[in-house]
Amino acid sequence: MNFSAELVAKVEGLWKRYPHRQAALLPALHLIQRERGGWLSPETIRDASELLGIPDMHIRGVVGFYDMFHDHPVGRHIVRVCKTLSCKLRGADAIRGHIRSKYGVAHRGTTPDGRFTYMDFECLGHCSTAPMMLVDDEKHENLTLAKVDDVLGRLA
Amino acid sequence: MRVTIDGLPVEVPAGANLIEAAAHAGKSVPHYCWHPRLSVVGNCRICLCEVEGMGKLQIGCNTQVREGMAFHTENARVKGARAGVMELLLIHHPLDCPICDQAGECKLQDYAVDHGTGVTRYGFPKVKKPKNISWGDKVVFDSERCILCTRCVRFAAEVAGTDEIGIDLRGEKATLIVKGDGHLTSPYQMNVIDLCPVGALTSRDFRFKSRVWFMKFTETICTSCARGCNVVAGARNDRMLRMVPRPNPQVNDHWMCDHGRLHYGFVNDPERLTSPRIGGKGAPYPPAIARSAELLKAARGDGILVVASPFMTNEELLALKGICDALGVADRWFVKPTGEGDELLRHPELCPNARGCALLGFEEAPAEPAADRKWGALLHVVPHEGATLPAEIAARAKKRILLSLREREADVCLPLTTWIEKDGTVVSAGDIVQRVAKGLTFEPTLLTERTVLENIRAALEPGFAPADTASQAFARLARACRAFEDLTWQKVGTGGVRLGAQEVAR
Amino acid sequence: MIGETRVMLEWADDPAQATLEGYRSHGGYEALAKAIREMTPDQVTEQVIQSGLRGRGGAGFPCGKKWTFVPKKTDKPKYIAVNADESEPGTCKDRQIMERDPHQMLEGTLLAAYAIGASAAYVYIRGEYPHSIRAVERAIDEARAANLVGRNILGSGFGCEIWVHPGAGAYICGEETALLTSLEGNRGYPRIKPPFPAVEGLWRCPTLVNNVETLACVTHIIRRGAGWFAGLGCPGSTGTRLFCLSGHIRNPGVYELECGRFTLRELLMDLGGGTLSGRPIKGVMPGGSSFPVLAAGELDVRFDVDSVAKAGTSLGSGAIMVFDDTVSAVDVALNIAEFYSHESCGQCTPCREGSGWVRRMLQLVRDGKAGAGDLETLWDVTTKMDGTTICALAEALVWPVQSYVKKFRPEFEAALAAGIVA
Repeated sequence: MNFSAELVAKVEGLWKRYPHRQAALLPALHLIQRERGGWLSPETIRDASELLGIPDMHIRGVVGFYDMFHDHPVGRHIVRVCKTLSCKLRGADAIRGHIRSKYGVAHRGTTPDGRFTYMDFECLGHCSTAPMMLVDDEKHENLTLAKVDDVLGRLA
Repeated sequence: MRVTIDGLPVEVPAGANLIEAAAHAGKSVPHYCWHPRLSVVGNCRICLCEVEGMGKLQIGCNTQVREGMAFHTENARVKGARAGVMELLLIHHPLDCPICDQAGECKLQDYAVDHGTGVTRYGFPKVKKPKNISWGDKVVFDSERCILCTRCVRFAAEVAGTDEIGIDLRGEKATLIVKGDGHLTSPYQMNVIDLCPVGALTSRDFRFKSRVWFMKFTETICTSCARGCNVVAGARNDRMLRMVPRPNPQVNDHWMCDHGRLHYGFVNDPERLTSPRIGGKGAPYPPAIARSAELLKAARGDGILVVASPFMTNEELLALKGICDALGVADRWFVKPTGEGDELLRHPELCPNARGCALLGFEEAPAEPAADRKWGALLHVVPHEGATLPAEIAARAKKRILLSLREREADVCLPLTTWIEKDGTVVSAGDIVQRVAKGLTFEPTLLTERTVLENIRAALEPGFAPADTASQAFARLARACRAFEDLTWQKVGTGGVRLGAQEVAR
Repeated sequence: MIGETRVMLEWADDPAQATLEGYRSHGGYEALAKAIREMTPDQVTEQVIQSGLRGRGGAGFPCGKKWTFVPKKTDKPKYIAVNADESEPGTCKDRQIMERDPHQMLEGTLLAAYAIGASAAYVYIRGEYPHSIRAVERAIDEARAANLVGRNILGSGFGCEIWVHPGAGAYICGEETALLTSLEGNRGYPRIKPPFPAVEGLWRCPTLVNNVETLACVTHIIRRGAGWFAGLGCPGSTGTRLFCLSGHIRNPGVYELECGRFTLRELLMDLGGGTLSGRPIKGVMPGGSSFPVLAAGELDVRFDVDSVAKAGTSLGSGAIMVFDDTVSAVDVALNIAEFYSHESCGQCTPCREGSGWVRRMLQLVRDGKAGAGDLETLWDVTTKMDGTTICALAEALVWPVQSYVKKFRPEFEAALAAGIVA
């Protein structure tokens, strides 16, 4: 199965929190996705199925439902730019267009150098500091084109 | 309890939902996702009804009747909602009717005609999804046709116990997926084909064979094991094309196993015997019957072995018993094929009427009859398949009269007919007597076993006249055998009747 | 001058407030101690009822009344699910509590658990809020170490576990039954009701679902009394509420306000500073994107739940989005339709099929390729989605979209031939 001992220990800890182990699926998938290069391949899903005791098909259906799980390879970073109303009103469309053309990516596309996968995302809950983007676990608010270039330029 | 449906007071059972209650009033509330044997999900939304006192329309499947409730199933508001749901169901639905097997028995078609507007206003490209996906070699999946009612998902989880169908993706892109390698494993998987209200799940076996409106449908039972699952046999041009289950709460609920469903090909076998043979040469019935009677009479002194088939109907067994009685036959056997049953429907007896054989005086053939047992004649009804009298024992009879599908070399060979070619009864598991019904005529000149055997008996026993109808034949059975004495052909009906306990003990 | 009344955010600017020590230094966990030592569970519930507290997630249901739906006598364990899935467009307020003063939410959760007899609470935080997740986890760890979470809290017989449970990117999981289904480890499908979560929720056990801010209010209600809370704001909108100002507004931000003291227009022009551009306001969505828009002439409504409801819309989740006249109403409606069609779970026919069709029709209008019949069809299809679905996501699309078509009709009609005019 090849998960790190640390991950297995975390999953065992998760199981203790719920009366039914299946409830650990979402938090466990976040951990597993992180450990397996940011995405959940068919092999990873099979491994997850074995570790969690949840049928492969069920996990596939969950992965396909939620926007934060990826079933295709991703870049080293995930860049999520909000496109919903408050961000749109504060210039998100221009930022999205800029990123697409400058870095040559479409929604869910990865830059040729593998640095990041770009996603148009729905409301990320930073409406009063719009426009914003989430880069991995880091938030970047009150974006300008310059700020966007600065942040993305520093991604390795 | 008393409710008012479309302004009319009706008495309905407590606990009924609005769909069931409306049915009691003779009204049909359309529904896709609801099924009496599956959990309620309320996702199709076509069963919406107006319940007085409640602002929003309510789904009929998840609303239980209450004393004094008044609801409407066909007022303008309900009709408008239904038409809306119909239109939405069809906006991405592919124009597959000309190539879809479901045509003619499709709830999308039926409800579109009854409840739809007849036109679509959707002018955009339709969402494309996978088509013609094999979920193994029995079930074909077409995702574009799927309305995501989840009946198949719930069946796999709640009835088959395999939990092997799921859903992937979200919103209008959602599609069904299958566990593991994408092939269904349940031996009951083909029930999802019946459950699917549209052509998303179809039978590989039946694919493109025929339009249903050209077929003849007969209510009968499956005869592959003792369960006797109730089915509708579908034939066209006197050849079997398919079987599907029909509901019977005391026998098979709403289901049948895949094996039984697919097990009808032998009916269509072009190599079947279609006329009698005497000494290996074709002959008409009268001389074959006469010759059989002759051989039997001559063999009385040396002993006669009669071997019934547990695929015979009770009426056929009665006719065979009549011959045995007329000739004083002591050795009246049958061979019971057995296998593995399961917890759902499959019975370990792989034949429909071992019970009938026992009730009519036949006993299971000894495993190893003494080496010196020999007979002057053998009258053997040979099952179309499965365990039968070993050849070595059959060889110990000087003369052999066989009723079979394929045997051509014996003293007399008489053609066997299959269960779909005759009317009669069998005793299924649980001591439930059920009808088999004639649904096709394989070959017009063929006579059923009952007719053949009764004519042999008539040749042996002057004054005996064969019965004319199934009803008459059953009446004779009821007179001759205590187990059936309170029953008639009509009472058995298409749903079967459980025999009383005391009559079954022999 | 409209000013804030800071209760929930009183200490939020102090980085130490997120720590147990900081929280306690400002009266933290006194309410819990008081409840456990001096009040019965029913008395806690009664205080919440008396306070007039209404749910802060968007539906505004009376909080204390909801607590009474949980059966008292049952063999099953009882649970609390804290709805921290904050995904309603325009809403960024629960995050303020979780990131800057999470203990007040935990304390409120424990108070609710005490009131209804729950033994475990799960804080379902949307996966896109890693900062909130970390902050709440840290707070729980500190609280557990101080015997404030877990068994035998403060040496009493009462115990309740609290765990953070992350979502993974699905707006629908903010719908309470979808949240429960997701928490159990499934696709986030809403459930048909009945049964209701208070009776059959998590794993078919009685479950109370409450919003983050609602539970934070509970803390302050118990600490300072129902009468104090009811005296803030106005009848029908008691206490203080967090509002998020966003869009074309000069002073976007999260503000803690008392309702009923000013109109929406006054709020926008005063605290909000008017539009960023100085141009006229064209429209305001006063409660997130799930409710009808208010046009420029409709902003003099008194700013409280019931007045806004009478005006045909809602304060919803407290998300006030403003746009000026440089924006096309068609474009805004399309943006909203894109959101809901993307987020539709796909379970039921009207929303699954209708939301995408509405989006496509609005795209056609935006692109200048629609005809008059398309507007009729759009209206009819949205009407057919209203009130016919398992959950309210369909209404959340229908109500705003229809309001744009109705209130900005000339713009839609002009777009038919020419595409977007503005």
